[in-house]
Amino acid sequence: MDNFTAIALAVFLPFALAFVLPLVEKLLKGYIGWYAFSVALLSFGLIAWVLPVISDGDTIQGSIRWLPSLSIDLSFYADGLSTMFGLIVSGIGMMILWYSNGYMSKKEDLPRYYQQLLFFMGAMLGMVFSANTLQLFIFWELTSITSFMLIGYWRNKPASIYGATKSLLLTAGGGLFMLAGFILLRSITGSFELATLLHDPAAIASLKTDPLFLTTLILIIIGAAAKSAQGPFYIWLPNAMEAPTPVSGFLHSATMVKAGIYLLARIHPLFSGTEAWFIIVSGLGIFTMLLAGFLAFRQTDIKAILAYSTISQLAYMFTMYGYTTYHEPGIGVAAATFHLLNHATFKACLFLVAGIVAHEAATRDIRKLGGLRKEMPITFIIATIAALSMIGIPPLNGFLSKEMFYETSLEMGHLLGGVFTYLIPAAALLGGVFTFAYSVKFIDGIFLGERKKEHLPEHIHDPSFNMLAPAGLLAGLVVLIGLFPSVAVHYLIEPATEGILLENVDLHVKLWHGFTTPLIMTIITLILGILVYTKYDDIGERQDKMNVRYPWLSINYFYDMIVDGAKNKSSVFAAFMQPGPVKPYLVSLIVLFIVLGAIPTFFVTATLIPANLNFNIPLYEGIILGLVIISAIATAVLRKYLQAVIAVSALGYLVSLIYIYLQAPDLAITQILVETLFTIIFVLVIVKIPQTFKETISTPVMIKDLTISAAVALTVLVLSLNVNQGIVAPFESLSYYFIENSVSLAAGHNIVNVILVDFRAYDTLGEIVVLCLAAFGVSNLIKSGVERK
Amino acid sequence: MNNTLLSITIALLFGIGTFMILRKDIIKIVLGMTILSHSANLLIFSSGITGGKTVPIITEEIAQHTTGIIFTDDLVNGILAPIVPEGTEMLFVDPMVQALTLTAIVISLATTSFLLILSYRVYKEHNTTDVSKVRRLRG
Repeated sequence: MDNFTAIALAVFLPFALAFVLPLVEKLLKGYIGWYAFSVALLSFGLIAWVLPVISDGDTIQGSIRWLPSLSIDLSFYADGLSTMFGLIVSGIGMMILWYSNGYMSKKEDLPRYYQQLLFFMGAMLGMVFSANTLQLFIFWELTSITSFMLIGYWRNKPASIYGATKSLLLTAGGGLFMLAGFILLRSITGSFELATLLHDPAAIASLKTDPLFLTTLILIIIGAAAKSAQGPFYIWLPNAMEAPTPVSGFLHSATMVKAGIYLLARIHPLFSGTEAWFIIVSGLGIFTMLLAGFLAFRQTDIKAILAYSTISQLAYMFTMYGYTTYHEPGIGVAAATFHLLNHATFKACLFLVAGIVAHEAATRDIRKLGGLRKEMPITFIIATIAALSMIGIPPLNGFLSKEMFYETSLEMGHLLGGVFTYLIPAAALLGGVFTFAYSVKFIDGIFLGERKKEHLPEHIHDPSFNMLAPAGLLAGLVVLIGLFPSVAVHYLIEPATEGILLENVDLHVKLWHGFTTPLIMTIITLILGILVYTKYDDIGERQDKMNVRYPWLSINYFYDMIVDGAKNKSSVFAAFMQPGPVKPYLVSLIVLFIVLGAIPTFFVTATLIPANLNFNIPLYEGIILGLVIISAIATAVLRKYLQAVIAVSALGYLVSLIYIYLQAPDLAITQILVETLFTIIFVLVIVKIPQTFKETISTPVMIKDLTISAAVALTVLVLSLNVNQGIVAPFESLSYYFIENSVSLAAGHNIVNVILVDFRAYDTLGEIVVLCLAAFGVSNLIKSGVERK
Repeated sequence: MNNTLLSITIALLFGIGTFMILRKDIIKIVLGMTILSHSANLLIFSSGITGGKTVPIITEEIAQHTTGIIFTDDLVNGILAPIVPEGTEMLFVDPMVQALTLTAIVISLATTSFLLILSYRVYKEHNTTDVSKVRRLRG
């Protein structure tokens, strides 16, 4: 198996195996989770198999023919960046699927749950390995859709529906902005192929000087920010916590929300190094980091605390990717990438802990929790390790990347000079202080302090092995990466950084590198953090009060206003457009027909009635057409159904007489057959229903309906007269082609038949389909029982 | 056939059909639809009968364009059904409108039958053939 096949299989197997999952479930029943786990294991193994090649600095590229006629191929590109993401996605996926075996009750709809998780994993892997922007977009939106379905997993909870809708509107909507950005990128550089673009200095140079550079950048960043819950788009992530906790841990902390970060890293060579890149990316990052860290204080749901913390931590990465414009890019990019990996481990671990707590203590409200350390000692240790790593305490992995964040911020401030020398490091420090506060709150609120008996069940204990083991493994990883960073750095971070910067990087990350300024900043963070923590609940209460007094301070206020407004307005519009009775619909259609029929005719011909009409009417023609009109009027006037049906049949046979007279034998035969069939069907139906119906038409209605009918008749008259004068016929008739070729190409002498079964055979096929559908409809309408009287 | 009279007939049929589909009686609506489809078929069909005496049909251009076989709609020149006899040059009515109309006739059979059974079903469910009494169609 070559490397490309391994990557393609890693992407496709989750999809393929998810499709057959409902069938496998019939065999495995409650053990279906292990099947899903092995799929993730398989993908992880396949990606790990190519890791040695990638960490040597090579890339893997290839494509599968997909739509050759549109020159669209499925192409995959694996470098250090995408491989690291692939390993995070499948690796965390493994842990989550393992954990789900303990977490999800066997009464739940397990096939749907696991199938959607596997679809998500496949989409995520497909996205990170995509070699062109369109394919990336498709997989990107696929992750949004699977996320939507997983957030709304409990379909009957209004909060789930609200959260799912919000996430779909914001992330998939942001994706559309990104698509617009990709199209602009294509029109500037001439390529959808990311892999080629990245290695094309000329194209990158032309992009950076293009007048549309800024627009393109902003459009793509909107997509990334919406997905990674940055800036004003952050509001969907807290509501996404309605998903089952393993889903939140997988999608909404470790993987899907990092798609925006992935996109930033992927397009880094194209857009970085410009002032706009720094201002937009870092600006968004610093703003979100502080806002989300601050807003975490008023959260009472332990998952919501984690959600705000995720937003804030993702903002670190945004900030650092933005820095590269000014200082030597190696450190910032490496730090962001390293933090990404570390965050995936400790945050997924914290979510698993939150799930365990909710599962055992039956509440996620931090005000009701407390003092669980004695009853859940192992969970307590795991949670503490992960939380301390998030704060940045040595020797855990979070400490390493947090130090690197401080270091880059210091350097960035120094490079910008002036007031920024202090502002940027201060912002970073403040972000760290907030992180300290909410991390401590998470541990303190759940495990320390008094046990609140009145809110908690009597017996709480550590969970089953299947829930504890994945969390424990992740906590172990947090410690291991912290103690031996060089392994992770060598195999994952260095290749990923090389993939982002497209140059060789040599990184040295050590646990202890002297008594440096970043270390002093860490110490300051701890001291300030403790001070802030003593006021934690006060700050939260104040935020609540502010929110009540000034609801418009919240972005959610505007989101709800827009969405509710759209809902209300559209229901008003729908009620106006669809009043109920059929008649208004018909009238509006007819009026539209009059407007669209009469006015263009007038514009084309400049006169409504042609001047040279022929009123020389032969007697027999007059008789036939006169009978047609009489039978139509009879159909309208006769009250008894049977009489009306006889009149309409007479009309049909008269029409076939016209066809005979006008040299159309095929039409005449068809018309006679159809008319006979129709009359039989009609008679069969009307014997089953009352023979008559007396409709009394009031004078105003009569006048209105007659006016409408007369207008229709006039419109048709104008149309028909002009058509028959050959005036409204600006194009050459297709008929010449059929006449010329019917014998030579189709070997048929009856041109009408040849057209139907040969030249325009697809039309006839469509006609047969209509007949079939009508037959199905009729048989079902007759067969199915009467539901209501 | 006299084009003007044919046009007037088609227009009258359209008017009558329209009036009928605006009624409350569901069977009358179906019958109205039948009349409408007849008139629509005739309208398509008659659009192939261009010319009459005012517009010359067989122009030099068309004669050159067609190799051997030409067609006309002009009744005066002795038209034939669009069936090509072996090895002769003939004048035809327009075959394309006939093909279109033929398809339309068959489809109108399908839709009218469906409508009829639907009205039967409406009667079964609601015990009336008055559509204004069927309130479950509300949006």
